[in-house]
Amino acid sequence: MNKLIRAFVAVFAVAFLLMYTVSKLNESEGKTAGNTLTVFNWGDYIDAELIDQFEKETGIKVIYETFDSNEAMMTKIEQGGTAYDVAVPSEYAIDKMKKANQLLPVDHSKIPNLKFIDERFMNLAFDPGNKYSIPYFWGTVGILYNKDLMKGKEITAWNDLWGPELRNEILLVDGAREVMGMGLNSLHYSLNDTNKQHLIEAKEKLDTLTPNIKAIVGDEIRMLMENDEATIGVVWSGTASELMWKKENLEYVVPEEGSNLWFDNMVIPKTAKNVEAAHKFINFMLDPKIATQNTEYVGYSTPNKKALEYMPKEIVSDERFYPDPEQTERLEVYENLGPNMLAYYNELFLEFKMHKK
Amino acid sequence: MKKKSLWPKVYLAFVFIVLYAPIFYLTFYSFNSGGTMNDFEGFTLDWYKELFQDTRLLIIVLNTIIIALLSAAISTIIGVLGALAIVYMKKRAAKNALLSLNNVLIVSPDVIIGASFLILFTIIGIKLGFTSVLLSHVAFSIPIVVIMVLPKLQEMSLSLIDAARDLGASHWDVLSKVILPYISPGIFAGFFLALTYSLDDFAVTFFVTGNGFTTLSVEIYSLARRGISLNINALSTLLFLFTILLVIGYYFITKRNGRTAGAGGGNE
Repeated sequence: MNKLIRAFVAVFAVAFLLMYTVSKLNESEGKTAGNTLTVFNWGDYIDAELIDQFEKETGIKVIYETFDSNEAMMTKIEQGGTAYDVAVPSEYAIDKMKKANQLLPVDHSKIPNLKFIDERFMNLAFDPGNKYSIPYFWGTVGILYNKDLMKGKEITAWNDLWGPELRNEILLVDGAREVMGMGLNSLHYSLNDTNKQHLIEAKEKLDTLTPNIKAIVGDEIRMLMENDEATIGVVWSGTASELMWKKENLEYVVPEEGSNLWFDNMVIPKTAKNVEAAHKFINFMLDPKIATQNTEYVGYSTPNKKALEYMPKEIVSDERFYPDPEQTERLEVYENLGPNMLAYYNELFLEFKMHKK
Repeated sequence: MKKKSLWPKVYLAFVFIVLYAPIFYLTFYSFNSGGTMNDFEGFTLDWYKELFQDTRLLIIVLNTIIIALLSAAISTIIGVLGALAIVYMKKRAAKNALLSLNNVLIVSPDVIIGASFLILFTIIGIKLGFTSVLLSHVAFSIPIVVIMVLPKLQEMSLSLIDAARDLGASHWDVLSKVILPYISPGIFAGFFLALTYSLDDFAVTFFVTGNGFTTLSVEIYSLARRGISLNINALSTLLFLFTILLVIGYYFITKRNGRTAGAGGGNE
């Protein structure tokens, strides 16, 4: 009996000792109460050096957490019990959070660097007057393909994907809006079409693509494309530019029928504890030099006009990643279609995923 | 029967190679300076250095161990009491019902247990984090402890208890001086099994973590999604070594226990 008691006391003692160590470590990381800022961002979506630099300049400790989908992020913020000071949702999520009253207005007078942002990316439909959100990155959805495996053939349009030579060679991102949008665009309908007849047509068109599809995946697409496992991937522009850095035989194209133009903006959730620091952080990220460094690391397109001047010419003039205003005309931003329509998109997407090859 | 055939040994070696090859493959590439698992370019300890400089990861490792130790200890205490209750229950039907309920928990899929915990915690308003992970680990470890302790209790002769009572032992004396010492190998086995279950649990933990608290298995999963870095190999290697140490420790404890029991002692 004594032996048992001794053993259990030892176990508890070790556990509490470790807990003490953890709290000490947390302190050394500066994660105790005080001047801290919690940032909630997509995975691998910031140059970590910039966080250190921000900490040094302002004395504010940054706690950095990541999410992998807008939906996951919204649930965490909605559920409460979290205290994120800055989050980076995409445009339709911002619209949704705004309507659900989950965001605090951004004080523009505290963000002098806002003047560096290109007019094109301000005052958009999802947030008129940028009352709640400040642009972080933007990009497109398009086709990434392996030039070697294509044997010289070029891809310019969504409809090229239906070619019989591409049997079992296409990877798709696992997103209802992206894939349904691809079907709609290939039929020259709008990405935001709410006509059920059109949507069913798009789904039926997608069904005929199934012999060519190898898999519908998430982030794994990077690894698969890097290892030549597939010829074609439908991806976001940032994924494409990152991979094209590593592999020269990859090519990215924004399909001529049109595609999606998206924005990720910084917002301050209602649960924020340190609103002052949040403004400082947003202002810091808009600094042209900082934005340049961040853009070079992340690989998506920056909305910062001044930062473009600091960047290498060949990147900025690359129309695949910085399409000029004329080209962005045929691109569309996702609109918030309301829960019923979204559910219908998801349902059709699910049916498409279950369609037999 | 003069000469033993060589084949059993070859077969055994083959099975062990198949079982351990993936782990050694992983370990081998944790020393690769190349940065990928495709070809080995040169020897380096950089991945280990990087690992130890990462305070965040270190905190996660410690948290995982804390959860394992606490949940194993708490569930062992509850589990032993449960096993005692089941064994000394008078009604046969109730006894069988309780045993079956206990077994159902062992065989039901982790995903379902995890999802139901998530629903439960959000309904009663427990914040996801340390408490929720600890509670769920305690819950899924209890049935395992019960299963490990029960056989020991059942093999114990009832006359031992009768003899103790005859010699004037109180209820408490019987429990602390007769029953518990007798079943202590089962208690330790239950504790260690609960410990390993908690250390490597992914499915249940995945549902109930939140607010910046994660355990190692969940963290490795999210790291792997971003693309395999050899950091993960280094971490897995260290974890493997840690488990080996645990196994060796367990071996020595049982060996010592065996000796004292054999010498007629063990009722301390």
